[in-house]
Amino acid sequence: MTVRTRYFVIVSLLVIIVGLGTGLVAYYVGFPTNAFFNRTGPEELRLLPSSASVIAFAEVREVMASDLRQRFRKAVAAGAQENGQREFQNLTGINIETDIERVIACFDATTSGSKGMGEGVVLARGTFDNVKIEALMREHGARVDDYKGKRLIIGDRFTPPFEGNDNNGGNDTTQVPQFTPPQNSQDFSLAFLEPGLIALGSRTLVQHAIDLQVGGGASAATNDEIVSHIRAMEGGNLWAVGRMDVLRARAKLPDIVANQLPPITWFSIRGRIDGGLQALLSAEARDDESANNLRDVVRGFLALAKLQISSKPEFQRFVQSLELSGTGRTVALSLDVPSQVFDALGAIAAQPPKPQ
Amino acid sequence: MRSALRVFDLSLGQMLWSRRSVLLGLLVGAPVVLAAAVRLYAEAGPLPVINTSRLNGPTLFGIVIWLLFVRFIVPVLGVFYGTALIADEVDDKTITYLFTRPVRRASILLGKYLAYLACVVLLVLPSVVVVYFLVVPIGGRIGESFPSLAADLGMLAIGLAAYGAVFAFVGARIKRPLIAGLVFAFGWESTVLLIPGYLKRLSVAYYLQSLVPHAMPQDSTISVLMQAFQDQPPVWVSLIYLFVIVGLSLWLAGMTIESREYVLEQ
Repeated sequence: MTVRTRYFVIVSLLVIIVGLGTGLVAYYVGFPTNAFFNRTGPEELRLLPSSASVIAFAEVREVMASDLRQRFRKAVAAGAQENGQREFQNLTGINIETDIERVIACFDATTSGSKGMGEGVVLARGTFDNVKIEALMREHGARVDDYKGKRLIIGDRFTPPFEGNDNNGGNDTTQVPQFTPPQNSQDFSLAFLEPGLIALGSRTLVQHAIDLQVGGGASAATNDEIVSHIRAMEGGNLWAVGRMDVLRARAKLPDIVANQLPPITWFSIRGRIDGGLQALLSAEARDDESANNLRDVVRGFLALAKLQISSKPEFQRFVQSLELSGTGRTVALSLDVPSQVFDALGAIAAQPPKPQ
Repeated sequence: MRSALRVFDLSLGQMLWSRRSVLLGLLVGAPVVLAAAVRLYAEAGPLPVINTSRLNGPTLFGIVIWLLFVRFIVPVLGVFYGTALIADEVDDKTITYLFTRPVRRASILLGKYLAYLACVVLLVLPSVVVVYFLVVPIGGRIGESFPSLAADLGMLAIGLAAYGAVFAFVGARIKRPLIAGLVFAFGWESTVLLIPGYLKRLSVAYYLQSLVPHAMPQDSTISVLMQAFQDQPPVWVSLIYLFVIVGLSLWLAGMTIESREYVLEQ
């Protein structure tokens, strides 16, 4: 065997062995194949507070380009989304469709917030024109501050020219959204955390994200409970996990209402949007008995839905896809919404109203 | 066996660095280039929607295995290399030099067959592995699809061995083996799979296709018909038949080469 033949054999064998070895490790260990979803969730989790009540994630580019979204936009909400997106772009210079790759949002009900309702922050990764964004926001009344070496653009409440704001239902393009002058620490803020990553939301949480980025510390990524719930979300391009008990406690509901709500501690929604929508809704009840009760309630609703839908064949596949599962304290409902359902919804929306 | 290994050692280098290897390189390189292009496309945006379902990496990998490897590359390599094992020596009038050596003629065939198998397996399997790692992460997970990769590699190696053995026999038996081989691979095999009954059992593809771990793509009317008439044998039955095909074909080829007088054209 000549030297080059020997080299060829060695290289070929190496490719096969390394490939099989990597696959085998991935099969047994759960090797992450997604660049941004490692075993502890998206990397941006380290910038969110450990006390987060709800964390939501979306692969914006994938969802925006999905066939389902295109159909939904045509069929159900043709103009409304564009108006909202245009207003946001006018205000911040960020085009949601083209600039943002993915977002991770957090709502923290334990912080005070402007009305004692908690605060939120959104971390968006994508391609951003920092100079343009800053100039636009300043033009609309925001001011720039420096916080631990990061530029922090602060406005107060975002007042878009929505319906009722005397702008012809948002259609008057001569009116632009404005930030009103800052008054307290609950201002709307935007910070450029690193190239391609911005944080926008309440000033407290944006500053907290900067604190975590600069100095580290306890974050959502170090909260084992959050991480264990987020780990189960892998594979979805849209998901949310949250603490229902915390939200309920902060909502200050009347006792009569609060007592009627199922005793859920955690909830999660994992969705995959492409040609259709596949989703898994899970809830973790306080104990096994509560979970059984919740399963009974959901089962009843499912039976009712199946009964009601028998005369509407276009929705039958959707209702038939609803599947209740879960053991112990977990209750899960999976669903598969084919794109035909959205077509049917569009057809219903397009029908003229029946005369009274 | 020692003489077969000597022939193997000599033939492997000859096969790898021959002009025919350009064809082999193109055949196994095309799926890699295609997979790289798909990967680049997927980096810019999601893959297209087909029949209301978005195409994802594992599905695409299954399609590549079916359409490129099982239906095309494996039979083509079997035909071009298998038929050439003896026919090339006859055409080049060099078979006399081999036959004058003090070794059994059948061991020459066996050595050349082993060289063919090493050559194609060492080129095709790395190509499949590279395609897998390029395509499957698009909307899929490497770990989840790994069992199908292992099954694919095994299936392709057995397929290459079976087609190679059959065409080695054809090459040893028939004077113009390439045409007969092409007719068998792309005429007979495709046709009998569409005919209901037992005739399909006289093909390699019938047993090989039952080992493919992916669903057959319904890319054409023929595929739909094939799926309709397909009564897939169990995996263990297919494996036994494929090993029998390899053994029987090599034995027949050995017998043929031992008894046949090759008349070299002047």
